[in-house]
Amino acid sequence: MKHLLLLFPVFLPCIYAILYGLIRFKGDTHREVFIGTAIVGNLLLVIFMLQSNPLPSLHLFRLDQFVDVYFHVDKMGILFSLLASTLWIFTMFFSMEYMTHEKNTKRFFSFFILNLGVIMGIAFSGNLFTMYIFYELLTLATYPLVIHAETEDALYSGKKYLIYSFFGATFILLGMILLYSVTNDLSFAANGIIGKLDNYNETILLAAYFVMFIGFGVKAALVPFHSWLPSAMVAPTPVSALLHAVAVVKSGIFAIIRVSYFIFGADILGGMKGHLWINVMVIFTIVLGSLMALHQENLKKRLAYSTISQLGYVLLGIVLLNKNALIGGLFHLINHAVIKITLFFIVGAIYFTTGKKSIHEIKGIGREMPITMLCFSIASISLIGIPPTNGFASKWFLALGGIAENKIFFVVILLFSAFLTAGYLLPIVVTAFFQGEERALEEKKEPPLKILIPIVTLTGVIVLLGLFPNIVLQFIRSIVGEII
Amino acid sequence: MERLFINYFETGAIILFGVGFATLLLHNNLIKKIIGMNIMDTAIFLFFIAKGYIPGREAPIIQDVHKGAAGYINPVPSALMLTGIVVAVSITAFALALTIKLHEKYGTIELDQIMEMRGD
Amino acid sequence: MISLAMAKSFPLLILLILLISAFIMPLVKNNRVVKGISLGTMMMAAVLSVITMIYVVKNGSFVYRIGHWDAPWGIEFYISPMEAAIGVLFTWVAGLILWYSLYSLEKEIPSEKLPFYYLLVNVLIGALLGIVYSNDIFNCFVFVEISTLASCGIVVIKDKKENIKAALKYLILSCLGSGLFLMGIAFLYSITGNLNMTFIYKEVAAAQYVYPNVILISVVLFTIGLGVKSAMFPLHTWLPDAHSSAPSVSSALLSSLVLKGFVILLIKILFRALGFTLVKELPILDLILILGSLGMIMGSVFAILQKEIKRVIAYSSVAQVGYIFFGIGLASELGVAVALYHVFGHAVTKAMLFLTVGAMIETTGKKKIEDFKGIGKEMPITLGLFTLGALSMVGIPILPGFVSKWNLALASISAGKPILVAIILISSILNALYYFPVVIHGFFGEENLKDRVYKSKQKPVKEMLPVICLSVAVLFVGLISEPLIQLFSLGLK
Repeated sequence: MKHLLLLFPVFLPCIYAILYGLIRFKGDTHREVFIGTAIVGNLLLVIFMLQSNPLPSLHLFRLDQFVDVYFHVDKMGILFSLLASTLWIFTMFFSMEYMTHEKNTKRFFSFFILNLGVIMGIAFSGNLFTMYIFYELLTLATYPLVIHAETEDALYSGKKYLIYSFFGATFILLGMILLYSVTNDLSFAANGIIGKLDNYNETILLAAYFVMFIGFGVKAALVPFHSWLPSAMVAPTPVSALLHAVAVVKSGIFAIIRVSYFIFGADILGGMKGHLWINVMVIFTIVLGSLMALHQENLKKRLAYSTISQLGYVLLGIVLLNKNALIGGLFHLINHAVIKITLFFIVGAIYFTTGKKSIHEIKGIGREMPITMLCFSIASISLIGIPPTNGFASKWFLALGGIAENKIFFVVILLFSAFLTAGYLLPIVVTAFFQGEERALEEKKEPPLKILIPIVTLTGVIVLLGLFPNIVLQFIRSIVGEII
Repeated sequence: MERLFINYFETGAIILFGVGFATLLLHNNLIKKIIGMNIMDTAIFLFFIAKGYIPGREAPIIQDVHKGAAGYINPVPSALMLTGIVVAVSITAFALALTIKLHEKYGTIELDQIMEMRGD
Repeated sequence: MISLAMAKSFPLLILLILLISAFIMPLVKNNRVVKGISLGTMMMAAVLSVITMIYVVKNGSFVYRIGHWDAPWGIEFYISPMEAAIGVLFTWVAGLILWYSLYSLEKEIPSEKLPFYYLLVNVLIGALLGIVYSNDIFNCFVFVEISTLASCGIVVIKDKKENIKAALKYLILSCLGSGLFLMGIAFLYSITGNLNMTFIYKEVAAAQYVYPNVILISVVLFTIGLGVKSAMFPLHTWLPDAHSSAPSVSSALLSSLVLKGFVILLIKILFRALGFTLVKELPILDLILILGSLGMIMGSVFAILQKEIKRVIAYSSVAQVGYIFFGIGLASELGVAVALYHVFGHAVTKAMLFLTVGAMIETTGKKKIEDFKGIGKEMPITLGLFTLGALSMVGIPILPGFVSKWNLALASISAGKPILVAIILISSILNALYYFPVVIHGFFGEENLKDRVYKSKQKPVKEMLPVICLSVAVLFVGLISEPLIQLFSLGLK
């Protein structure tokens, strides 16, 4: 019975989503209460479930070694599920206000809730097959959110998103087939399942890892498969914030972690020497993402390219295959999620209150919206990685990991990219606060409270993570200790 | 080469089959196509029956005394081909009926002309 | 109380019920009665086939002698789990399609022709089951001819220009196919002296060293002959015309069942009459593999180029039949078992796709893909069912399309041809390219949804119920993939 509890966070949101589509709400309050219960309730469920000991696991149905829908909770899954469900709550408040000026909110919230369930499914998947199912579902369930505006442009971006995603999924499938033909097993286990085999064909395994890395890398916006991400910025801001800074891209990263450390295992991967190409791709992702971000006029696009670059950091932490790097990578996964969602919220707030989208339009906006832009500055500084912010902590560990591999080169790349990060974020701050004509009587135009509160709270979280990183770090250390 | 002459039934059947096949594929006129189809079928019947024929033996009809199995040819192919002929006739009839219909609708039985009318 | 042992005679009983009842229909004046007879007999056949299936699974394969003549003089039915399962598939899918036809057929064909239509359908299904059950090659040939005539009949019944043209094209190419097939029988008979597959198997083992060329010729003749009928690429040219111009109910029957009957016959000849070990030596399987792969790719490419939605689905059948030939061509037990599984999966999925599209065409009166933009708002349930079918074709896990792709990929790796995995994957991407736009433009897009009224064109749920049953069948076939595949590999031995 206790194990059945595991199904609730995954399938309840799906039920809520359907109910939400069916029920006719009397007023906005009813509607918002319903969404609130669904999403906050899910977080409480997750927390409640994690209290149980031992952690639950469940074969939902199992036909054979392959067709086996299996859920299993481990620390990695806990990290991801908590991160997602917490940020979902912030986004919920934000979008309740923000979506008032968009149409078709019913469909939006239906799929918004549904996606939470899908993400939980990814987090708690106990084998690659289950994860693949939810991964495909994620593509299908986020698609209506991406094309929310239903303009020509949105449909085009949606098409791009689908094509890229299915391209990636096909690669994943290829990898799974190759892998399964060697191992006959796709379950996740700390330290990997390959090590337990007596003999195996290394070429096939290497090919399997490579195609899976690319396949999942599509969602993780790996250069050169990144171009769907900036296009998908036509979606409403909450979607961009949540899905394209947290849920979708992070699920790609999460899947790569699962494949690398829970199927292959660090030792096997290190022994295969196939990493050169992957390292090159990751470095390209970091540098090119930052360079492309430099000359984006549209605020959301700038943030999107910044996401690409920052995801490169996380990937770097994964592919370096040592403890410090992975700690850095995982910590950066959390930090980037929190920071990027804040930045997106702020950009959304600016658009919501003033209707401005590009950098040259926001001259002097800092004087109109001081609190908002202050939060933006704090988040930017964190992302750049100036001590003592959380961004610094994660990059520090990444650098340590790079040095441990005797590759100072990586450290140089990290520094270079940090400068570029400053190069594309600080001008926004400067433009907002110091440019534009001074007017005598500035009217304060802060966004409504439902938007402002999530922003301020998240900024608070950023600061806290910077000042007291140890609680989170300890948890990450315990994860990493188990899998390397 | 010599074998071809010894098995002249089979050789003839295959040549006939080729003629029928070519007629079926190459002609535009539907009636000719159907004729080709029939030639092809006939070739198969010939081939099949030739397989059952053993030189010097009688048709398997008992007259006066039963000569034992060694006295008669193999009756199975002949029986099968009766069925085959029935099938071929019915298909020919159906095809001809369709051709008449087609002529009603298109006013021609040349296949290339019919294909050109696809647009309307 | 019917004892289960009587199940041995059920295959014959099914055929008799279907074929005899067929010829009663034109005598009945009332169309409602005709519909009742048709659906009733099909349901009886379906129930009987399920009982046969249960019997076979419990007691193993059996042979039924027709008229109690012993083989090789009499005709035999050989029922292994494979035949029994295919019988269940054919009767049930046909039953569901007939159920759907009760509400929609009159809108496509004149009502005085209705009894003839149901006659043809019953004859068609009876003949297909005959092909599946019979163990005698010549008997199979006769059933092949009957089913060809009947399927031409259900294409031409609409009595439009393009139907007659398509049917004639279909008929001529089919005749070519049956000519080749009969020639193949002649060659095989000339060296084995038997028509019964079990006996051919015994004789051919001795004959293969004496007449290796004759065996090769006859196998090639069989493959091409049946390949024409089952739309093996590049012999598929008749299919898009015939399937797209026919009434939707006919298209569903033709695409999901008729093609499959001939494939099953080819499998039976290759692996039961000639045997695995013999066929593996011949180059024919490589030919089938290559043509299958080509079909998988080219069928989809042609489908992308089409403008009419029914033609898209018809070309998609070419691609899907390619998968089946691909499985056969892999020359491994798993490959053939997966090919048979794909017969199952494709039959239910394609029937569902054709019926949903038929419903869309019926209510809107349009045919082109671009006319179906925004249809999801008007017919949400119909397009929802279409989406399920499309997802299965593209290969979303657990649905049958995915299971067969996955297993085909594994089979091709274990057959030592890992490069073929790429073909499977490319083909599934191509599938996505022509199915998803229909779904996406149907459900989304501001332009598309303008002026559309929600559920305005939806058919009553009662009329869509058979399609909903088919969708449940799709999920079911996906879920029981493992036992099915095991059953088929059992049936091949």
